[in-house]
Amino acid sequence: MFMQQMINGFSLGSMYALIAIGYTMVYGVLRLINFAHGDIMMVGGFLGFFGVAVLELPFLAAVLLAIVGSALLGMASDRIAYRPLRSAPKISLLITAIGVSFFLENAFNVFFGGVPRAFPVPSVLEDILEFGGLTIPVSALIVPILTAMLLAIILWVLFKTKYGMAIRALAFDVDTVNLMGIDANRIITIVFGMGSALAAVGGIFWVVNYPSVDPMMGVLVGLKAFAAAVVGGIGSVGGAVLGGLIIGFTEVVVIAFLPELGGYKDAFAFIFLILILLFKPTGILGIDFEKSRF
Amino acid sequence: MTVKKDQWINLSFVFGVIGFIGIANSFFDEYTIRILNNIAIFTILAVSYNLINGVTGQFSLEPNGFVAIGAYVTALLLVSPEAKQYQYAIVDPYPFVLSLHANFVVALVLSGFFATCLALVLSFPVFRVRGDYLAIVTLGFGFIIKIFAINYPEVTNGSLGLNDIPEFSNLYWTGGIAIIAVITVLNIVNSKFGRAMKAVRDDEDAAIAMGVNTFKAKTFAFCTSAFFEGVGGGLLAALLTSISPDLFDFFFTFQLLIIIVLGGLGSTTGAIVGTILVMGGSEWMRFLDEPMKFFGYTTPAMPGLRMVVFSLILIFIMLFAREGIMGKKELKDLFKGRKRSAK
Amino acid sequence: MRKLSVLAASALLLASSSFAKEINVGVVMSMSGPLAAYGQTCNEGIEFAHSLQPKLKNGDTVKLVLIDTKGDKVESANATTRLISSDKVVGIIGELTSTNTAQVMAIADKKEIPVIAPVATNDKLTEGKKFANRVCFTDSFQGAVVANYAAKDLKLKTAVVVVDQAQVYSLGLAKAFKDAFSAAGGKIVKEIKVSSGDKDFKAVVSQIKAANPDFMFLPMYHPEVSMIARQAKQIGLNKPMFSGDGVANQTFIDLGGDAVEGYMFTDFFDYGAPPTERSKEFIKAYAAKTGKQEVNSFVALGADAYNLMVDAMNRCANPEDNICVNNEIKKTKGFEGVSGVISMDELGNSTRSAVIKVVQNAKAVYKATVNP
Repeated sequence: MFMQQMINGFSLGSMYALIAIGYTMVYGVLRLINFAHGDIMMVGGFLGFFGVAVLELPFLAAVLLAIVGSALLGMASDRIAYRPLRSAPKISLLITAIGVSFFLENAFNVFFGGVPRAFPVPSVLEDILEFGGLTIPVSALIVPILTAMLLAIILWVLFKTKYGMAIRALAFDVDTVNLMGIDANRIITIVFGMGSALAAVGGIFWVVNYPSVDPMMGVLVGLKAFAAAVVGGIGSVGGAVLGGLIIGFTEVVVIAFLPELGGYKDAFAFIFLILILLFKPTGILGIDFEKSRF
Repeated sequence: MTVKKDQWINLSFVFGVIGFIGIANSFFDEYTIRILNNIAIFTILAVSYNLINGVTGQFSLEPNGFVAIGAYVTALLLVSPEAKQYQYAIVDPYPFVLSLHANFVVALVLSGFFATCLALVLSFPVFRVRGDYLAIVTLGFGFIIKIFAINYPEVTNGSLGLNDIPEFSNLYWTGGIAIIAVITVLNIVNSKFGRAMKAVRDDEDAAIAMGVNTFKAKTFAFCTSAFFEGVGGGLLAALLTSISPDLFDFFFTFQLLIIIVLGGLGSTTGAIVGTILVMGGSEWMRFLDEPMKFFGYTTPAMPGLRMVVFSLILIFIMLFAREGIMGKKELKDLFKGRKRSAK
Repeated sequence: MRKLSVLAASALLLASSSFAKEINVGVVMSMSGPLAAYGQTCNEGIEFAHSLQPKLKNGDTVKLVLIDTKGDKVESANATTRLISSDKVVGIIGELTSTNTAQVMAIADKKEIPVIAPVATNDKLTEGKKFANRVCFTDSFQGAVVANYAAKDLKLKTAVVVVDQAQVYSLGLAKAFKDAFSAAGGKIVKEIKVSSGDKDFKAVVSQIKAANPDFMFLPMYHPEVSMIARQAKQIGLNKPMFSGDGVANQTFIDLGGDAVEGYMFTDFFDYGAPPTERSKEFIKAYAAKTGKQEVNSFVALGADAYNLMVDAMNRCANPEDNICVNNEIKKTKGFEGVSGVISMDELGNSTRSAVIKVVQNAKAVYKATVNP
């Protein structure tokens, strides 16, 4: 039972981690809390649903459709809603982000309805592995592997490519980057594309694990993922993974061993957030976010 | 001379409102009076929310949390012990819950007081770091309050909420407190503290360099907002006569955000104008949810379209008309010559 | 102007008895917001029943005035006040959830306007109110139905209950079930709290598996229950599962897939076994209009809320006399509604039967009827 619960915590935690990575990327560069991140994840889930259930594409093609669609949506939201506000006060940017988030939720609610839809999970992912009395669904096993792979790819992009260098430079100082002859706007758009693609991957595997798609599914997950990113150390990709795992484990441990507190489960992410801001605002991985990033 | 003129404009406005309340009760039907009550309560909330968001420039999403605190404190103090006895259906309440009882004024003041205390506690983790986190912490705070209200039935009666709250709120109370709130906020904005808040909004680094204690300025703005939001919550509870946790979800805050953005961030007059437009307008906007006829083609009813339009309005204002209706101007500025307002 | 026209109308009425009036009945419903899907279904029933029976016996026409509440309490209060003060309704049908209905009833009770709630099941709802009524059964009845069926018919001894803390419906039903199941000699081995909106229940189902009960009672709505059923199947937890009417819809079966085969739940009625004549006619007319046979319980209950209101108005000499209409609603006995035979009591609660259904081959199949 204990081991089983640890596996449950690990699978939920890596789910949060996957979504937190995208959050931390955008924040690291723009210092914008992209409230719409959770909703882009929802759009990713929906696109995957349309791919598999309506267009009857094979699963991997649907994943590709979701990633490309969400990345385009992320870039479009940056181009339309955020870019004109680069020099405006931060508060305008945050209000716009809330507006984009509400727009996506309600537009999907109006046009596709608020009733949850069943996501047809490919049967390979529905298999269940058993050993030593423990049961592990394949879908729950794939998420941590995927998270680790994406983490490796992102770190490679950030530290081994020219674009990565530009992104890291941007996180320091936008004006100087422009002076160096780099088109900061283009880099920011690329970051939005990457962040949104990550959200889409998170969205798809969220609905593979919990096969129902609805317009509000990204709200709470998005907030928790942000809390995870801050707890781990915002701007740090590794920190996002760490924060996600901490929050996932906490939620499982609360239900498993302190069932009287089960109802408070969702509060823990935010209580952690407040505690970390109080005692170590830079997050656990301790990057001084006024100086360096990633 | 100008100061005197400003006072006259404000004073005549206050008397206009008092006069309006006086005649409203006998002229309008109950439905209109209910809408007026809503407008008065939301004016209190919008004007105080504007203090932290507009005047101090710190993006905060707290109102639903503090309104909930105020509503619950007032409800617990007003509901008679007999009524409480049969309401608690999930678990038996703590004995002290049953013995709580106070009159309306005390209940409202305590509502504001508790909200202020919590705001003070929250401001330590939040304002120690630069602004950004305020949004997410206050958003999370709203969630936590709701989760507590649901999971602590010994006090809050859980998701059943509290019913049979005596209906104390009427236009005299809501309108009167709205006037007090507006005057208080205007006085703060025009005081030394208000100038510190605006300095924080316009350039925090410069404000620090000038010796402004930014932590103090932000905390003061936040706590004042919280106080009036608590009081507003109390009035709302005594108007609705029943409250439950789902009333205080994020949508409540979103509505207030639209109000202050539409009215013009930083303008108290704008917050009032925004309240009247949104609270009155959302009734009118109902037509969006109903089936519509375009050139003989009938679109199906699209419930929720109103919310899509609301969010588009928010984005649109931020992109193209960041000043809102009033900009940072107040009522008195409208009466001044062009030379001044051109600045 | 309005007064004048009413005056003119009544004068005309005196002059010729063949002149028919128009009487307003209010409908307060969540047509948008998070519960829109349910509100729209319920309102479909109200409006369809109205189209079948738009006139009273004496020839007066009933006009429905629908106001959307967005599922919000403040809006529910606004809507109720507007219906009573500007639309001068004789009675109100609505709202959807128990919390919002409580808000509607609190205001209407002061104005002495009868309210009929179609689907709000919370026990406390009508307590202490004179003008509050409902056509659905209460949580305590439904809880007892499940408890007795499990304990006596299926001979199950131990149960785990999972409660959604955020839903009034879930709390009420869970409490009623626990009381009735203990009284029937059963034992609750564990109670687990969750919140609506959750998707990950792996920790919950692992715990249930460890507790090893005879069956599980999940008094919640379908989005959460379907996820629990799926994740239970994943870890090989194959005990019988029960729910209340919160899962009585096709969406539940679609979401649950294979995992909800054999799932049992209570419902108000079954369109495959129409309980009354009126029920048969309604289903026929509904199929003729919409092309589908499946009449959802919420449609049937919405229709019955309207039918009962009209029936009570018909029994009053003056159908606009709200006090008389309220008294007649409470006096209703053996009323043949779409969803079954309904008898009202002094408190405004209805005595009616429940049906038990089981999921077989991705369809909800009628299993038994339980009479009170």
